Amino acid sequence: MRKADAENKDIFLLDKTKAMSHHIFILSPTDTPLYSLTHYSSKPVQSTGSSLSSNLPSWSTSAFAGTLTALSGASSATQHHTSGGGGVRVGGGQDRHVIQMIANASLDAIEEVMRRDSAMYLKSVDKFNEWIVSAFVTAGNKDMKFIILHETKNDDGIKVFFNDLWELYVKTAMNPFHTAHTPIRSAVFDSRVRASAKKNL
Amino acid sequence: MAYTQANPQNPRFSVLSSSSLSSAEHLSPNSSRFSLPNTPSINTTLGTPRPNLRPNIYDRHLSKTRAAEVSASSFAYLFSEVVQYTQKRVSGINDLERRLNILGYRIGMRVLELNVWRTESTSKAPKREIRFLPALMSIHTQVWRAVFGKPADAIEKSVENDDEYMIVDNEPPITRNISIPRDMSQLSCSSFTAGIVEAVLDGLGFVHDWILPKTPLPIQYVQPARVTAHNTPSDADAYPGRTTILIKLERSVIEREELLK
Repeated sequence: MRKADAENKDIFLLDKTKAMSHHIFILSPTDTPLYSLTHYSSKPVQSTGSSLSSNLPSWSTSAFAGTLTALSGASSATQHHTSGGGGVRVGGGQDRHVIQMIANASLDAIEEVMRRDSAMYLKSVDKFNEWIVSAFVTAGNKDMKFIILHETKNDDGIKVFFNDLWELYVKTAMNPFHTAHTPIRSAVFDSRVRASAKKNL
Repeated sequence: MAYTQANPQNPRFSVLSSSSLSSAEHLSPNSSRFSLPNTPSINTTLGTPRPNLRPNIYDRHLSKTRAAEVSASSFAYLFSEVVQYTQKRVSGINDLERRLNILGYRIGMRVLELNVWRTESTSKAPKREIRFLPALMSIHTQVWRAVFGKPADAIEKSVENDDEYMIVDNEPPITRNISIPRDMSQLSCSSFTAGIVEAVLDGLGFVHDWILPKTPLPIQYVQPARVTAHNTPSDADAYPGRTTILIKLERSVIEREELLK
């Protein structure tokens, strides 16, 4: 528990310094996450948007308010694309469950594309507020989906990362006890994914 | 356990340890059973870097196929045990074929995932197969080659039903050593192969409907098999074991194919 706290604090500190975050999900054919990872890259990020979130009162970043602001941010972003577009980066966009929802919501876009496009790597397939969604669809198991939420374009790095993730996933799937619905809990898998994320994202 | 560890003079403990002592340890009677000097000697004799750790699944190469072939006779033995085991637990031929199909399905899932990785992971833009006929061709050649070491003998399309396709194998290697009793002449143990084919087509989204039911169970427990195996001995008796794998497509798949044309 103490280690988790320390990690959270780290994440919080990194967030303050505007580290670029990536959210990675492996979704099963029934859309349940089998594996998820939040990666904070140390690479410099160009400053986008204002620091509106720091001016908001603390209650507005609570879980529920976060959902509301994230969702209302979406509508305001589409309506006032030129005027208010810069300020949509609000606290809600970083909430865990909102991230999860954005990832799952992008499945609609992914499934539409993958029916007619045979490419496995679908880059920038969906957008939501500040998030760009890229995906990778494997061939087997009724299409396992790897989804990554990122803030800046990094097509080549993500492609290399997806390739690594694919190889690791295929190795996992070779385990006779693994099914398309088994959550991936291997520590080795996790550390390899983190290493690849650190290198490529 | 705590007692034996606390008291090394326990007679039972010493009996155990002397029985498991290696010859090197006989030379130094004072070394305890769990002492480390034992390990390097095993290490040097076996020549493996880490004797205690089996290679992790993530450390192994996916494309090393040279040493991965299994002897046909040991496979035949294993498969006969599989069939016998299954046969004891079923109520009829249909049930038996169904279960063999399920076992094959588990293999097909992995064959597909692995085959696509082997062919596509090195390409610049990896592709999935979304058209049916190329997928069928790749089953006929690549999947058959990966599983049986040779391509299948023919692909046929049903004349009566436009949603039925067939893959024909004149001499299926897995049933080469199986003779079916007369009263079970309906049975085809190639249902196992049918399961592999079903998994591959299902993985690519061709057999069952695109939308899965939201259950944790694999699809084949919920829906009847759409890929079945049938004995079709050739007329001239040249191939008594000739087997046809019959694929019945979902209506929505045929409609999708029309749209993609």
